[in-house]
Amino acid sequence: MDAQLISQVMEATGETLIMVLFSTVFSLVLGLPIGVLLHITGKEESGGIIPSPVFNNVLSRIVNVLRSFPFIILLIVLIPLSRVIVGTSIGTKAAIVPLSIAAAPFVARIIESALKEVDPGVLQAAKAMGSTNWQLVYKVLLPEAMPALISGLTLTIINLIGYSAMAGTIGGGGLGDLAIRYGYQRFRPSYLVAAVIIILIMVEIIQVAGDMIVKKMMSKR
Amino acid sequence: MHIKLKNLKRDYGTLHAVQDVTLDIPSNTIYGIIGRSGAGKSTLVRLVSMLERPDSGEVYYDDERVDNLEGKALIQRRRRIGMIFQNFNLFSSRNAAGNIAYPMEICGMDRVHISKRVEELLSLVGLQGRGSAPISTLSGGQKQRVAIARALACNPDILFCDEATSALDPQTTRSILALIKELQAKMNLTVVMITHQMEVVRDACERVAVIDSGRIVEEGTVSDIFANPKSEVTKDFISNLTNVKDSIVRWSDEEGRFTLRFRGNTTDSPIISNVSIETGATFNIRAAGVQEVSGEDIGVMVVDIGPDEKSVRAAVEMLRKYGVSVEGEV
Repeated sequence: MDAQLISQVMEATGETLIMVLFSTVFSLVLGLPIGVLLHITGKEESGGIIPSPVFNNVLSRIVNVLRSFPFIILLIVLIPLSRVIVGTSIGTKAAIVPLSIAAAPFVARIIESALKEVDPGVLQAAKAMGSTNWQLVYKVLLPEAMPALISGLTLTIINLIGYSAMAGTIGGGGLGDLAIRYGYQRFRPSYLVAAVIIILIMVEIIQVAGDMIVKKMMSKR
Repeated sequence: MHIKLKNLKRDYGTLHAVQDVTLDIPSNTIYGIIGRSGAGKSTLVRLVSMLERPDSGEVYYDDERVDNLEGKALIQRRRRIGMIFQNFNLFSSRNAAGNIAYPMEICGMDRVHISKRVEELLSLVGLQGRGSAPISTLSGGQKQRVAIARALACNPDILFCDEATSALDPQTTRSILALIKELQAKMNLTVVMITHQMEVVRDACERVAVIDSGRIVEEGTVSDIFANPKSEVTKDFISNLTNVKDSIVRWSDEEGRFTLRFRGNTTDSPIISNVSIETGATFNIRAAGVQEVSGEDIGVMVVDIGPDEKSVRAAVEMLRKYGVSVEGEV
């Protein structure tokens, strides 16, 4: 193994971690409120707290449209937005914008389906005790759904690791980019193998950690 | 707290779940509302407990109208009632103590006060020391005890029990009913018990309303209703009860034609002999027994009366004069 490979792989790993970390945080910031809104404005029998069919329908459509965009297209379409938000349209920082926006609707759906699992009877009991809507969300819905939310978060991070491999298109760097540019285009399979192994390890660590947290939570219930 | 319902109505599309219900639930009692599934009792309790609004009609707690409350006022009023459910509806994300603490947390009580009150409530329902238990490790009866403690945390004046014992075995049902009775007396609660189990009404309630197809078909003290059921639904509930309970000894499988019910003082006098002597009617007793209904003994007897229709009519008339309720075709 040559020193150049090691240093390049390290650098790419850092870029991937930064992209995944920040886009996870931002996609949660965007997706969590949308997911909660999708759930609480839904039908009462499926656990909606403030049913409003029109709003729910419109929001649901928007989420679907965003979700059906192929990521590679979103990446290019959002170049002007990245420039406005982070001041540049290329590089790791710029890639975080489309990554977050691509993952947000996915996160919203994951959160919505996790909240749907909460027993409507429990919600009714909390309502009968005089909980405000806000209390129903942060003291009942979110804690009750926590294991499912953590599983969803695990899935989101793993998806984002996959998406981040495409960030090379706009000079975002990262392991995927390294594998394509060096490993594939320059016929240096050692790069490809190294990048793939590190991605594999990352995914495995995230999955195992997520499963462990969920298991620990369930054992206390 | 005295609950008054005036001409309550609630439709779901073409289904008239509750039609024109007017009821007076006196303060400081255990009041039963019994009905078959689909009779409208669940909707009724949702209307009375402010979980749902009636299409028309009014609900009063003492003299305060509550069915039209909104926003903050509604939330504040809900905090002063307690409710328990068939499926307990406990928070799985919280342990027993956390569940009991919830209603106090949402009205902003301070932590020290809450944890003190939680301990009090745990021992009140017989679960001292179990505060840290995860909900899934508790038995059905223990879960309902936690739910009762949670419902009573903020010292409500009304407790609604929505089929609270339907998921429990008979023994646990008895212990939960005993607990509710004890707490009712201790805390001067008005308890409204929605159920489809006549034994719950018999063992715990002072008054009962029978609901069928969204209407109240019968209302009165439990001993009156047991001694003298008027509607078919009520008779059905009571006869199912007598079959289930072994307190009635049946020594013939053939149905008796008449069911006689003796209550209070009538259980002590030799009515059957008197009637037999005076009218010349003969009695063939098929089954008989005594039921205790809210502290009062009610004798039940399944009989055939002979020898001819004339003496049957005379006997039935006379029995009724003695205050015995007679059920059956003359």
